Amino acid sequence: MNGITNVIAVELKLIMRDPMSAFFALAFPLIMLWVKLRTGKPLPGGLPAVDATVPMLSVFVIGLAALVILPATLAGYRERRVLKRLRATPASPTLLFGAQWVAHMLLAALGTMLLIVVGLIGYGLTAPANVGGVLLAWTLGALSLSSIGLLVGGLVPSGRAATVVGLGLFFPMGFLSGAIIPRETMSESMRAIGDLTPMAPAVRAIRDGWVGDAMSPVTLGLMAAIFVVAGGVAVRAFRW
Amino acid sequence: MTAIEMDGLRKSYKGGNAVDGVSLKVERGEIFGIAGPNGAGKTTIVECASGLRRRDGGTLRVLGLDPQSDRRELLQRIGVQLQEAALPDAIKVDEALRMYASLYTKPADWRELMGEWGLTDKRRASFASLSGGWKQRLFIALALVGNPELVFLDELTTGLDPSARRTTWGLIREMRERGITVVLVTHFMDEAEALCDRIAIIDRGRVIAEGSPRELITQGRSDSLEDAYFALTGRGTA
Repeated sequence: MNGITNVIAVELKLIMRDPMSAFFALAFPLIMLWVKLRTGKPLPGGLPAVDATVPMLSVFVIGLAALVILPATLAGYRERRVLKRLRATPASPTLLFGAQWVAHMLLAALGTMLLIVVGLIGYGLTAPANVGGVLLAWTLGALSLSSIGLLVGGLVPSGRAATVVGLGLFFPMGFLSGAIIPRETMSESMRAIGDLTPMAPAVRAIRDGWVGDAMSPVTLGLMAAIFVVAGGVAVRAFRW
Repeated sequence: MTAIEMDGLRKSYKGGNAVDGVSLKVERGEIFGIAGPNGAGKTTIVECASGLRRRDGGTLRVLGLDPQSDRRELLQRIGVQLQEAALPDAIKVDEALRMYASLYTKPADWRELMGEWGLTDKRRASFASLSGGWKQRLFIALALVGNPELVFLDELTTGLDPSARRTTWGLIREMRERGITVVLVTHFMDEAEALCDRIAIIDRGRVIAEGSPRELITQGRSDSLEDAYFALTGRGTA
């Protein structure tokens, strides 16, 4: 196995061994799914609740992996000089950085797959109408949110501080963007505020793709732009 | 053959310990000690020589390479143990060795290395569960996993109990027997005396004395290297 895939594999194992990370990314979203679907009432407009909730919670999972777990891992590693030791090997710094990122995105992918499987088996989830579109939207959402996570992880001095900042970004964004509460049931003003958060385009694009509505190029472009700008700044500002 | 040629190395940065014109020559196959009080600039010298820090001035060749412009190539050929560096808590001994081996183009056989350094019984132990002595053994094995010609060890024995320290000394001598050049940063004079072929004593970013342990003891008109160290640095025990 070549070096970077090896680092990614080890890193993914380490995340899964951490009870907090595994709970947050894999179990917590399933609990949320169960809580949200207990009543089972369709949304205003007639969409079955599960067909909105699974796409929404997939963004919730991305947010946890990208904004909470990723920065905490990176900042904790810097604090304890784990990154410095890795940097004393011939591996390219960009690839080491990339390996951390890929491992956390694989965690989000695992969490999303769990949600889909439980949705299909337990709640009669309808398969996505536009599979390619959902995959594209999910990937862009993961790229954009994790580049913000990399930025936080690069700048915050300790693992503990990263967790505080990460949760501080994640929960307000999650509530306002429609990743936790369906956009249909939010007030106009809440939705307007939520649309300003970088999580909103991911929620909209994945939900649109799921039910087969047209995906807005503006939404997709916005996520790509966040990825390029925040990711570029994160790579430049990163301190080992 | 020369492993390290350092001439007039300078490095200053805020919050750190400056190096102010250090010249050193390390021959291949020797254990070279860098000793001196805390904050003397020892770690900065090692970090510059291993390509982890950019120098402000002076010339520096390590294994014939410039640690700045030939950084990646140099890192293929050296091994590093960094002061206070750690591994993730949950990583297992064999995972760490396999992963670090995979980062080099011509690595040592990590399983063999694990056996040679007595780590096989601990292979499924997590890093956090290892005692200080076992952690240091793992760090030595990691420093050797790329099949290096030159190894930097920065305060390897700090925090170890006396018996673990003695065991580590044996491991360092074993490296020399295998033909590896060792640069050992320490502030224990008994350690420097027991292990090193030559020692440079650094204080306030400069070399204040250099030679074999015997030469330094003569130079300091003392009975032990520790007494010579106090005589040479002018730092007393009071």
